[in-house]
Amino acid sequence: MEDVNKLTDQELFSFVEFNASESEKTGSSDYSYWKSVVITFLKNKMAVALLIIMLSLIVFSFFAVATAKFEYTKIFRDAKLQTPNSTYWFGTDLLGRDMWSRTWYGTTISIKLAAVVTFFDVLIGVVIGCLWGYVRQLDRFFTEIYNIIYNIPTTIYLMLLTYILTQGFWTLAFALCSTGWLGMARNVRNLVFMIRDREYNLASRCLGTPLPRMILKNLVPYLVSVVILRMALNIPTVISLEVTLSFLGLGLPGTVPSLGQLLAHARTKFMDFPHLLIFPTLIVSVITISFYLVGNAFSDASDPRNHV
Amino acid sequence: MLKYSLKRLLQSILTIVIILTVVFLLMRLLPKDGYFTDEEIMKLTEDQKYARLQEQGLFDHPLKQLMDFYSKLFKGNLGYSIRIQKNIPVMKVISEKAPISIQIGLIATLIGLVLGVLLGVMQATNKGKIIDKLGTAYIVIVNAVPPLVYYFFIWVFLTSWFGLPMRLKIGDYKSYVLPILAMSLTSIASYALWIRRYMVDELNKDYIKLARAKGLPYKNIMYKHVLRNALVPMVQLIPASLLLTIGGSILIESIFSVPGMGSMLISAIQKKDNPLVQAIILLYSIMGVFGVFLGDILMVFIDPRIKLDTKGGSR
Repeated sequence: MEDVNKLTDQELFSFVEFNASESEKTGSSDYSYWKSVVITFLKNKMAVALLIIMLSLIVFSFFAVATAKFEYTKIFRDAKLQTPNSTYWFGTDLLGRDMWSRTWYGTTISIKLAAVVTFFDVLIGVVIGCLWGYVRQLDRFFTEIYNIIYNIPTTIYLMLLTYILTQGFWTLAFALCSTGWLGMARNVRNLVFMIRDREYNLASRCLGTPLPRMILKNLVPYLVSVVILRMALNIPTVISLEVTLSFLGLGLPGTVPSLGQLLAHARTKFMDFPHLLIFPTLIVSVITISFYLVGNAFSDASDPRNHV
Repeated sequence: MLKYSLKRLLQSILTIVIILTVVFLLMRLLPKDGYFTDEEIMKLTEDQKYARLQEQGLFDHPLKQLMDFYSKLFKGNLGYSIRIQKNIPVMKVISEKAPISIQIGLIATLIGLVLGVLLGVMQATNKGKIIDKLGTAYIVIVNAVPPLVYYFFIWVFLTSWFGLPMRLKIGDYKSYVLPILAMSLTSIASYALWIRRYMVDELNKDYIKLARAKGLPYKNIMYKHVLRNALVPMVQLIPASLLLTIGGSILIESIFSVPGMGSMLISAIQKKDNPLVQAIILLYSIMGVFGVFLGDILMVFIDPRIKLDTKGGSR
């Protein structure tokens, strides 16, 4: 004991050299939100494979439309209802139009429609959802609106709307958006409502964190997973609704070969010419299932709780 | 209980009034051709058409029209069909078509409920195993792929493989198989999805861990505690989906030529039979509202833990 007391400070304490890798062990990590999202997502091999299939299918559909041998409107009178062959790769339809160009054109229409509708659904949904959740006075008002629209079956509402309006791409997009934002807004509202008054937000507020930073750093990471999941699931829904409405004669006009129209036109010939059914449905199924699964995988990956 | 039910009932009625008004206003925007039969459009001059529309009160002040609409509605008069069945009261036309939709809807919901709960329970008890994965694959396909696609596959391939009729004929029970199958495919998937999710949630709760630690047999835990609790939120969904299937799935009725309400709505729209369209839309909306209302009430009835005075339930 005496020895220790006799020693000088220099002898007792010495500086440790800074070692970057040692400091990592206990100090803060270089955690980055988006990096972790990507890493977690890439671990899901099936989702990555589906994402690649889906993206290449989308790119290919635009490529196929641009390079198709025949115009999708061109009628070959002597080549009606051909089964797939070297000239007409997907065969021809009742009037003798090339199914290859029609199918891929229909696919691009569906993709465009889904993209437009989903973009506006998310935009309106997130803005209204945040207002709904943050501003207490607006809660009652939006809840009542939600109850009214939620109570009417979507298909019925869409049928009525498309019956009244003139048919067309933007009409359909408008009709689909007018109900689509609702689920999104409800979801965002519930989340904002839940997170708004949590302790860590209270602490942030007390420490004087400015509002934009609060929203971007404290709220958005929680919303991202839900928004992305909703977005990904919205795409199959929009494609389904287009197919349904067009088949019933209420979606896109008959001159546009959307996937719903292709099925509606050929329905009497499916028994004898299954190629009219199989090619369009195969493509639409691959796209919708991929979006569904990739969306689920990405929402898992974007949840901070799943990061290591 | 009674107070809560009454309050919810009043809320639902208010919602219906709002929906009626909105539908009414939208209906004023309908194509005017829909108020005449085909021959009338050809024969009548513009002036005659105008006079006819005026006679029906279509150029009155909107508020007056709205009042007229409600007073007629209270007398049960929804107008007359114009094109589907000429000058027959709309209610009579609908009541002729409803039974077949109700029959098929009821059977399909029953099948969907039984098989859906069964599948969900099987998935939850074998979580992560092959049954669970197959079930999930089925649910994903049904939810992601447009229903029209697999309805058409059923329609085209199952009819030729099993020699079933393609069109529904009243009284020919073999022809009921495919529409019912198509309709229950969707409901099986949605019930199974919910049951699995609720059961897995329930399994992670503390009281289940206690029950296990106490040594209760696995089956006992599953059926007496987990399933019972998982059924509660499910019950809320049943009335709404039942009422909607009874109303007739529009797509299925149109593919399998079921002469029900759904397919009538389509032909009413195609032929622009405005009064009929209006009546069917009103009927569907009212069924939607009451489905949600019944679901809320049923849930409170079944689960005593749910407080009666909380607003709006857990939607």
